Amino acid sequence: MRSTRFWVLIVAAVLAVSLLAAAVVRLASPGGSVAEITVDGQVVERIDLDRVTEGYTFTVEDEWGSNTIQVEPGRIRVLEADCPDQVCVRQGWISDEVTPIVCLPHRLVIQVSGGTDAGVDALS
Amino acid sequence: MNIRRITRMALLTAIALTIFVAEAQIPAPVPIYGVKLGLANIVTVWAVFLLGPADAAMILLARVVLGSLITGQMMALMYSLGGGLLCLCAMIPLRKVLTDRQIWVCSVAGAVFHNIGQILVAIAITRTPSLVVYLPVLLVSGVITGLFTGLCAQFLHERMRKLLRL
Amino acid sequence: MRRVGCLLLALAAAAALLTGCAPEEHEEIIFAMDTVMQLQAWGDGAEDALTRAVQRINELDRTLSVVNENSDIWAINHGQGAVEVSPDTLHLVELALELWRDTGGALNIAMYPVVRAWGFTTGEYRVVPEPERAELLEYTDLGRLELDEAAGTVTLPEGMELDLGSLGKGYAGDQVMDILRGSGVTSAIVNLGGNVQALGSQSDGSPWRVGIQDPEDESAYLAVLEISDLAVVTSGGYQRYFEEDGQTYWHIMDPATGAPADSGLISATAVGASGALCDGLSTALFVMGADAAADFWRGREDFEFVLVDQAGTIWVSEGLEDSFSLAQGYEDRTVEVVRR
Repeated sequence: MRSTRFWVLIVAAVLAVSLLAAAVVRLASPGGSVAEITVDGQVVERIDLDRVTEGYTFTVEDEWGSNTIQVEPGRIRVLEADCPDQVCVRQGWISDEVTPIVCLPHRLVIQVSGGTDAGVDALS
Repeated sequence: MNIRRITRMALLTAIALTIFVAEAQIPAPVPIYGVKLGLANIVTVWAVFLLGPADAAMILLARVVLGSLITGQMMALMYSLGGGLLCLCAMIPLRKVLTDRQIWVCSVAGAVFHNIGQILVAIAITRTPSLVVYLPVLLVSGVITGLFTGLCAQFLHERMRKLLRL
Repeated sequence: MRRVGCLLLALAAAAALLTGCAPEEHEEIIFAMDTVMQLQAWGDGAEDALTRAVQRINELDRTLSVVNENSDIWAINHGQGAVEVSPDTLHLVELALELWRDTGGALNIAMYPVVRAWGFTTGEYRVVPEPERAELLEYTDLGRLELDEAAGTVTLPEGMELDLGSLGKGYAGDQVMDILRGSGVTSAIVNLGGNVQALGSQSDGSPWRVGIQDPEDESAYLAVLEISDLAVVTSGGYQRYFEEDGQTYWHIMDPATGAPADSGLISATAVGASGALCDGLSTALFVMGADAAADFWRGREDFEFVLVDQAGTIWVSEGLEDSFSLAQGYEDRTVEVVRR
């Protein structure tokens, strides 16, 4: 049997490493913020939050349900959803990569990542 | 399976379920996906420690399935199962190297692995591997909530010992 | 108008080059076939291959030009009897006849006299009145064109004139892809005046992102297609048009009426493996309209489409469902997925 001090150290170490990792995720971001909305792993929308000048809302509908998403300069949130748990709605605004919004019942993920909108490679 | 054991498990399942449903009714203090206190974990930790892996697993399973049915969130079932199973896998071997005064360590490990399990299920369901960046935040939350529920279990154990003469 | 867009694109690309890009990127920007062309290729042998690709484009331009007096098309349009032409020209006329039959006449390479009457070749625009249109259409029956494959000759009936403008850029794109592929290039994208053709994927393995221009705002794109190894060709009324008495007249003629196509669509994009086919089909789909285009698509396996109608609704064939996404600022657009 280990001493209690040993276990305190282990738990403190796990906490420290996790905090460090969270800080690294945030600091390693190259700046800029592009929100990527995926449903079932497919990107449905990519929004450069830095390029948003005026707030607007739109609805993502899929076979599992619908989420109304609100965009404002630099931030994004789920305004309304017909999912049972409403976790995505209650999470509120996000603006960085640390806490993505997940609506598990609808398989919808909103993740903000650094960088700017890649734009397009060619126009047709 | 003797009647005393069945009764004890039924009682603990009922307690865990009540805590779980009650917690589901109050809004989470930090409304972030996967971050919650997980008060029902107190019962799981205590059961792992004093009743053994088999009983703890059955109580957890019954609580998760019934809890999802009651709160009407069948999607959460998958998610709780993934977290719950990984949590048990971490707690059962740990139990062997911990003393009666270190129940809270078991809870922290359980909460951390519960969150890892949740992330894996979320990645599998949404097919978004990049959700792994979410892990550090959930680990921090896991350590803190695990510590809280672990200490609850610890105090519970010290009182119950006298009460149940276990 | 479109040229300005292409120039801006070229400038943007040049700026991107100056600010530092992957070292193995090679690029050519040329003016050919009456438009700006941008060719980008990555990897070993790309530079050489691009040089040969540019030579090939210029060669095709000389062969297929409707205004160059030494071109095959000039010879066909101004010659008497059977005119001997190059294999390229022969192949394209054959393809054009096939598409003319398949599309029920929606793609017709003999519309040149009509387009000229409306002023699109000279810039002296005028609305051609009905009796004159009917007269002009008498010379557009491609069934009367004679093509002798063995002898390599084309014979036009009296009064008919061909213009391969609706297929030439697509065919040139196919030729460029062949040259690049043959030289071992695995990643390239070319934009031949709006005809986008991609070879493989981006050098990091991700698909190419091709924007589809907003027909109502030339500086913006309303949707993005993520594609690999495909051609994306758009025909739109916004590309060349004039206005008279509040009415807009564009350059895409309906072969059935001899007037600008009025099908309810303002843009039609065809996506497929063959650039020449997509080039021709984008025009044909524009002429057909959404419903007829969908029916036509259901009978074939060799292309997918994106259509934009006057109400702003976007029609996407189901094969593109996963690669299609609305661009930033267009999230509210109605998208109808057309199923087989």
